[in-house]
Amino acid sequence: MKLLSGRRIVLATLALTCASGLFALPARAADNAKQFIQSFGTQLVAIVNSPIPLPEKKTKVLPLVQKNVDIDGIGRYCLGRYWKIATPEQRQHYLALFHEVLVNAITDKLGEYRGVSFTIGDVIKSGGEDSVNAILMRPQQPPASMQWIVSYDSGQPLVVDVIGEGASLRLTQRNDYSSFIARNGGNVDTLLAALQKQLDRHAQPGN
Amino acid sequence: MISGRNGSRLRPRARDQHDQTREGSSVHRRFRLGTLCLGLVLLGTAGCSSIKAPVPTDPDALAEYKAANDPYEPLNRKVFNLTMKFDTWALRPVAKAYVWAVPRPVRNSLGNMITTMNEPSVFFNDVGAGKPRRAGDSFVRWCINMTVGVGGLIDVAKMAGFPHHDNDAGLTMANWGISSGPYLFLPMGPSSFRDGIGYGIDQGLSPWDYVPRGYGLVSFNWAYNMMGVVHGRSEHLEDLDALQRDALDPYATIRSAYQQQRNAQAEAIKNDHRATVPDWYQ
Repeated sequence: MKLLSGRRIVLATLALTCASGLFALPARAADNAKQFIQSFGTQLVAIVNSPIPLPEKKTKVLPLVQKNVDIDGIGRYCLGRYWKIATPEQRQHYLALFHEVLVNAITDKLGEYRGVSFTIGDVIKSGGEDSVNAILMRPQQPPASMQWIVSYDSGQPLVVDVIGEGASLRLTQRNDYSSFIARNGGNVDTLLAALQKQLDRHAQPGN
Repeated sequence: MISGRNGSRLRPRARDQHDQTREGSSVHRRFRLGTLCLGLVLLGTAGCSSIKAPVPTDPDALAEYKAANDPYEPLNRKVFNLTMKFDTWALRPVAKAYVWAVPRPVRNSLGNMITTMNEPSVFFNDVGAGKPRRAGDSFVRWCINMTVGVGGLIDVAKMAGFPHHDNDAGLTMANWGISSGPYLFLPMGPSSFRDGIGYGIDQGLSPWDYVPRGYGLVSFNWAYNMMGVVHGRSEHLEDLDALQRDALDPYATIRSAYQQQRNAQAEAIKNDHRATVPDWYQ
């Protein structure tokens, strides 16, 4: 009888509520990540598959990417240890260039695909981020699996990385940039110049 | 890199082409010319300038140096540059001509054949890694494709539910807990001490190296090897063009992608605990 005293029951209920809340939290986060990628992917695929000309596709994709991808976060990550030593002006200039480089990299891919569809698989938690498995299907090509890494650091879900065949896009990019800066005397300005050159080349007609 | 068996693993910018290229990935396991070139290059470069990179003192730079696992970077970069030159002037044009001349379905069939012919090596490595389900898959693939698949030209096994998976001695050793050792760039592609030794073991595991003289089999072996290299390169024309265009330091980009992909492949094999009995039996 004593075991079931009122205070104990209240405590037990409280503990149970807390526990179930704790268990429910990751599940909810995982669901969020899944829904987020599902919705982002559906919108992206709708544009890719639509019968509009390529330049129009690019203008439509741009706001979608800016809204759902943490471009600044990826940019900071990619600069690696040089972010610390870069001046505020260099950082600002770098992020502006990086925005353009990343958007170009994404929009360049648009023209290559037609009749695309995708399915979302499991969500795995790694650190503070969720990794969403996705399989991309393209006509007459074998399915390709990839993982989308979703972060909540900014308060809302944002894509911070894509992993294909085990290689992380942002880590590979960071190693590219770091090695380039290190081989150019550790000067961040050389990276900015190289990125600018890359953008100029991209802007030339025929690209 | 392009020619090497590992070239197929390098798709940092077009990774979604995954399985398509995977089929052709086992292609050049047996390109013995590569080994010869390696010897020559090593001899040529060993004499001149430094082989080892100086160890940085700055803590951040040191951390980066350790993460890259590339103490022989100066030597590796030399081999990389030579390989890229050879690629630009010889291999890439040949691969482009091959794509121009041979229609896609025929190329796919040749790719299937190359993959099937490498299946014995995959099988032995699956056994070595202690993965009976995977070993069974590669064994069945070999049996079905060499018979019903007309010598491997048609991938019947895949239609029957036995898709190709990659394996090599480097991955087998990774499963045994042997670390990769320093990164190496060999004439046949990005590698490491472990994977380079594994490459040699794979040569020994391939039954095609034991064909008797005569019967035209030796010529077949050569043709098969050469075609494997060209076919393998042709699968990555766009990827490597994009990489060379977009990467500021293609050497570092390839190194990073290769190391990550090898780790992921070894991890995937380690975590493959599928039952040996077929699904319908369970």
